[in-house]
Amino acid sequence: MKNIRYLFIGIPIIIILSAQVSCNKEFLNKTDPTRLGVNTFYQNQTEVDQALVGIYGQLRAIITNQWRFNELTSDNTTIDFNPSDRGQASDIEQFEYWQYTSSNPSINTMYDQYYNTLYNINLTLSKLPSANISDSAKNVVKGQLEFLRAYYYYNLTMYFGDVILITQPLNDPSQAWNFERKPQDSIFVQVQSDLKDAASSLPVRYNAANVGRITKGAALSLLGKVYLTMKDYADAVSTLRQVLNLGYALLPSYAAVFDPANKNSVESVFEVQFQGGNTLGIASNFIYTFAPRLSGALATGFPQATPGGWNIPTKNMIAAYEHGDLRKAASIGLDFVSPVTGEVVPYIKKYDHPSSIFGQSNDDWPVIRYSDVLLMLSEAINELNGPTDEAYTYLNQVRNRAGLNSLSGLNQSSFRDTVYHERRVELAFENDRWFFLKRTMSPDQLTSFLNAYGAEEKSDPTTSRQGVAYATSDYVFAPYKVVFPIPGNEIITNSKLKQNTGY
Amino acid sequence: MKRIFINSAPSLGYRVIILILLSIFSWAGAIAQQQLTLHGTVTDQKNNPLLGVTVQVSGSQNGTITDASGGYQIRAATGDSLIFHSVGYATQIVRVGSSPVINVRLHAASRGLNEVVILGYGTQQKKDVTAAVTTVDVSKIKDISSANPTKLLIGQVPGAVISQTTGSPGREFNVIIRGLGSLGASSNPLYVVDGFPVGTSIGQNLNPDDIATITVLKDAVSTAIYGARGANGVILITTKKAEAGKTTLSVNAKYGIQNLPVSLRTKMMTGPEFAEFKKESFIDKSEFYHNVTPGINDIPIDYRYPDSTKYSTNWLNEILHNNAPYQNYNITFSSGKTDMHSLVSVGLINQDGSLIASNYRNYSVRANVEGKVNNFINVGLDLSGSYAELNWINGTEGRSDAVGIALLADPRAPVYNKDGSFNEYIGGHDGIFGWPNPVQNLLQVTKRTYLGDGLATGFIEVSFLRHFKFRSTANVHLNYNTYKQWVPSTIAHTNAPPPQVATENDNLNKTLDLDATQLLTYSNDFGAHHLDVLLGYDAQEENVSGLYANGSEYPNDLTPFLSSAAVVTAGSSAGGWSDIAYFTRVNYSFKDRYLFSGTFRREGSSRFGSNNRYGDFPAVSAGWRMSEEKFMSKINWLSELKLRASWGETGNNNIGNYSSLAFLNPSNYVLGGNFINGFVVGSFPNSKLGWEKSNQIDGGIDLGAFGNKLTFTADYYKRITTSMLLSISIPAISGFTSSLGNVGKVQNQGFEFALGYKTNINELELWANGTFSVNRNKVLALNGPTKAIWNGSLYADYNVSKVGRPIGMIYGFRTLGIFQNMDQIAKSPKQDGAIPGSFIYYDANHDGVVEYDQTDMVEIGNPWPKFTWGATFGGNYKNFDLTILLSGRQGYDNFMQIQSSTVNQDGVFNVLEDDKYRWRSEQNPGKNYWPTTNYWKWERESNSRYVHDASHMWVKDITLGYSLPQGKLPFNLRIYLTGDNVFLFTHYPGSNPDVNNNGGINPGLDDEAYPVPRTFAIGANLTF
Repeated sequence: MKNIRYLFIGIPIIIILSAQVSCNKEFLNKTDPTRLGVNTFYQNQTEVDQALVGIYGQLRAIITNQWRFNELTSDNTTIDFNPSDRGQASDIEQFEYWQYTSSNPSINTMYDQYYNTLYNINLTLSKLPSANISDSAKNVVKGQLEFLRAYYYYNLTMYFGDVILITQPLNDPSQAWNFERKPQDSIFVQVQSDLKDAASSLPVRYNAANVGRITKGAALSLLGKVYLTMKDYADAVSTLRQVLNLGYALLPSYAAVFDPANKNSVESVFEVQFQGGNTLGIASNFIYTFAPRLSGALATGFPQATPGGWNIPTKNMIAAYEHGDLRKAASIGLDFVSPVTGEVVPYIKKYDHPSSIFGQSNDDWPVIRYSDVLLMLSEAINELNGPTDEAYTYLNQVRNRAGLNSLSGLNQSSFRDTVYHERRVELAFENDRWFFLKRTMSPDQLTSFLNAYGAEEKSDPTTSRQGVAYATSDYVFAPYKVVFPIPGNEIITNSKLKQNTGY
Repeated sequence: MKRIFINSAPSLGYRVIILILLSIFSWAGAIAQQQLTLHGTVTDQKNNPLLGVTVQVSGSQNGTITDASGGYQIRAATGDSLIFHSVGYATQIVRVGSSPVINVRLHAASRGLNEVVILGYGTQQKKDVTAAVTTVDVSKIKDISSANPTKLLIGQVPGAVISQTTGSPGREFNVIIRGLGSLGASSNPLYVVDGFPVGTSIGQNLNPDDIATITVLKDAVSTAIYGARGANGVILITTKKAEAGKTTLSVNAKYGIQNLPVSLRTKMMTGPEFAEFKKESFIDKSEFYHNVTPGINDIPIDYRYPDSTKYSTNWLNEILHNNAPYQNYNITFSSGKTDMHSLVSVGLINQDGSLIASNYRNYSVRANVEGKVNNFINVGLDLSGSYAELNWINGTEGRSDAVGIALLADPRAPVYNKDGSFNEYIGGHDGIFGWPNPVQNLLQVTKRTYLGDGLATGFIEVSFLRHFKFRSTANVHLNYNTYKQWVPSTIAHTNAPPPQVATENDNLNKTLDLDATQLLTYSNDFGAHHLDVLLGYDAQEENVSGLYANGSEYPNDLTPFLSSAAVVTAGSSAGGWSDIAYFTRVNYSFKDRYLFSGTFRREGSSRFGSNNRYGDFPAVSAGWRMSEEKFMSKINWLSELKLRASWGETGNNNIGNYSSLAFLNPSNYVLGGNFINGFVVGSFPNSKLGWEKSNQIDGGIDLGAFGNKLTFTADYYKRITTSMLLSISIPAISGFTSSLGNVGKVQNQGFEFALGYKTNINELELWANGTFSVNRNKVLALNGPTKAIWNGSLYADYNVSKVGRPIGMIYGFRTLGIFQNMDQIAKSPKQDGAIPGSFIYYDANHDGVVEYDQTDMVEIGNPWPKFTWGATFGGNYKNFDLTILLSGRQGYDNFMQIQSSTVNQDGVFNVLEDDKYRWRSEQNPGKNYWPTTNYWKWERESNSRYVHDASHMWVKDITLGYSLPQGKLPFNLRIYLTGDNVFLFTHYPGSNPDVNNNGGINPGLDDEAYPVPRTFAIGANLTF
């Protein structure tokens, strides 16, 4: 009995000793061992570069959903109508039918993503001066960040019109209520200044390990697009001409441009990088979103695939290709027949390339291609001086590569229409269409244009409605819809924020 | 129309149980009558002889009194009952058997005001307590079929709302004490097991059979001693200890069956009904949009002839486990005869769920040992370990999970194919959602949790200088939690038939919690003055680490292990918190009449910003035992009257670790064709993040009358929480959409009443306890520019917390009815896209347009009850005992989110049987309750049609017991029958009015959860 008693004395003492936690200040200092703290970051080359790479990384999510806003809204694409799932109408289908409201989740997410990456850009820019790296290296980092900031603000103002402009990181969330929406003009001023800065500090090209970063050519091309949007044709021409001397060229084959084997080719001015064949979370999945819903392995190569059936080329788009245009087959797949309706469901072929792992595609996303630069330049020269030889040169370069004849003898107006048409087919499904329509048409013109397209789609739908009638509010465009609504959550959070008229 | 759920037919097992019980009773009654001279000894709990105990033969004048050695002698007949009665002790009635010796041990009267109350870091005589605390008399409800300790609180604690949000076995109940105190941090109470603060969850490891008492601390003077974690109340659980002077071996066994009453099963359409629904909606659409009545051959073949539908499957019935067994066994050996007291127990709970494939198994062991080293040193050690296995206990909630898909799946599909294999894909054609087979899903998918848990508490206590005691305690809690989920390739995904890619998720978490407490106490009397002083220091640290892995691309379904997966992703995690506190408590009383208590705690927590790490938590209280005053002594019936009041501050640090710091999250990219690591910022840092504080006043009265036969306690309280730890919406242009800060103010105030009564009428002993509470919650301020906190989305509900209103009110469109025709639509505020048959929504801002967003949303429901009540009553008659436990909540709403799916008129899901009476046309409007099938808009949004009054009363437990006459056998045996969740009285159309899928500040959401079964069990307590 005595022995047992000692045991019972002993055990508590051991526990007491082992559990006695020391009492000092360090005891209450706990930091997450699994993550890096923000306070101590941005000190050296490695850390600044990792911050920049992180910002590049955010491009992937933004570009992945961009088709909803830039193509689905337009006459280029529609949806593979799904009679079983009408709930989606609240989100993605709202872009197809122009029913987007301030509660649209896609707009909400996009808005948040843009300002989140802008915070990272502004924070990194603000930390740059005190980082322990060379001035020249700082300049290159700064140029890339400025380009991205300009790209995002250009998109934001194209989507929403007047937007809030923030170029410094906030220290305290309460400051966020002090900002009001700034007129589009002043957004363009900021965008131009960032792009000019970027163009002057960025290199023309990088070494092999850094291919994919933003170059001088990208900054000049985007700046050209901004001028074009502002109808400042003289600056557009002078800016875009500078790109001609940077070593870009068209690939001989249009289809090859989108082949992952030719990533960052001589034609690519700026593309968002993805990598398939691994599960590192850096792959794309465009074909899984764009292939017809019931197409399974046909486009994706994987029988278990249940593709989204979104961003389906419209009949109107398919008809836009001239006879003999090589781009049609490279851009649109017409080989899928729905087992339910017995009808062909077309789909985008540009981003359909085999990948070794299910769901992990290897396709990059082209943001600016050299043919875009040529067409912009051609368009701007025509606006400035009419259809000069130079304007024809660039236009025909693009046409010839597509297997089409050279054009000549057009007047300024018909040349303009031709360039517009050429843009549509050359850049189809590359998220150019919505901004193009917006910059070339007044709200009223766009309204009648889109309503005409909507009537066409309603009377002869691209994909079968399978007996489901259109709602009266489907395909009803109105001038106020040329800008998206500011997300409702933002208005709730900050009641001073003004909603766009009409919403 | 009240629904009384009694109609599920008693099963065979049920009848067998009754038969067994009847035979036991008749055996007991067969003992022959015989006059005897009885003798024996009456002792108290500590085996000391009791002098002057009245011993009386029931129903006669025959009586005697015990002598100094506790002895007595009396004549009585077999079958008579002897009544043993003495002031201060519970009366005991013993049935005379054939043995002439009847020894009786009387227990001190319980539930009087003399009992000892367990408080934080100590105990106090109940008469001296000046705090609002409730002690749960576990002995009264011990037979309840509980697999989790939280169940023992139901109906017992005024001021606490205990909800069984899910019927999955072993799951912890949701406990909220005195209302939701916080908008951002968790509002769960702190659980303290044998002095060890284990956190805001009691988990699934503690065996309810091991529990001796539960004390719930509610007001600030009782909770402030737990400072940072006391704001939401504290639940002190004390496990059983050996009783001095007694050695017993007791065996408890219980076996029961569980069934979901038929009336609690949501009624969906049968196969032919659903085909008819599809057919009618096809016709309605054609007529509405094309003005054409389709011919029979225009109707898709899938539902052209509803009467010849081949199958009609009630998927919900298919996934239910009828007569699911419930078993609970416990053996406790208790030895208190020497200086070393020990209690050892072994327990097993084995409970199948009311859904097939789900079960809960818990093996537990405990050793509580305490002993004297010498006359001034005591040591003790409580060790407990448990191991639990759970399958399909978690992850059953929501429309796309186990129960939800059983409601929505096409009823025209069979469970099995002709060859006996599973029909693997249900629906997925003709515009109907494709789902996995709900039965196959439960049987073939593994969702298994393994919990290993060890808790050790050791102390050494040294008494010195007569009045001082020093106690050093160390606590260790180690928990291993393993989860494995396996979804084989045969399981369909939503709208995607199998084969699918098989996937596996594995998780392993380890928690190590260390706590050390040093207590110095001083206790002394100075004449009429009594003083208790406590000084304490506590340091606690918790570290959690985890390992998780996901696998996919398996070569087959036979080797569900990561090593077979072609693709594996894995990661590890780690984190923790630490806490240091200094505290003191002074209790002072004068003449046993004037009572004062004060506590103070200073506490630091690693969770707060470096500028705000420490918080101070003071509390004071006073009490006046009026009944001790001379002027009260003439009121004979009054045995106790105490007035008390308290004030204090408590804190809340349930905000997760590291919330004050900003971290980098990975965001990777490809450069030069290579994967490159990158980082982006995850949140704003907030070094000013500090304590959320609650300021609470409490006023109470304790009353005892007629020798404490009647007891009554009432409390009023008001708690204001300030500097709330709240994640608030901030403009997205800041870079983030939310940020944690100390903002806002919430008030909870209410009344609590507890009433107890007991009486003896001859051999009949009756008792009753009732609780009644009212809590009113109100948001007083949301600092900063935010005027309201919105949580939710257009197709779910919104919970909105607005200044001046309670937390989390249910928001949505107010449904005014159904549009009958185009003319009515034209005359109403504009609802873009509305057609006849759509809901009419209220244009709240009267701008002539019902916006398709939150603009016109209004309060459509209140998830907080007007009052909550509980009642436990029972009686003993001869050898029989009966206990009935009721609990209820009145005046609150739930948002039945599941109805936006079960009455989804798109025809993509099966729908409620009641949807037969939907609106079809102006001439055929049905009940004018459910909308048209012609269009989806203005039907499925958050709206008042899905809000239902969830007021209810549960008959939670009925237990009938029978004890074999004592003295005849070398053991005591009690056999009982118990029913759990026996009846539910409610108008609520869902299966469980307690459901709360989201909890916290998103209350009242019913998106279908694991159903709550009714249990019938038979049990036996055997004691040697």
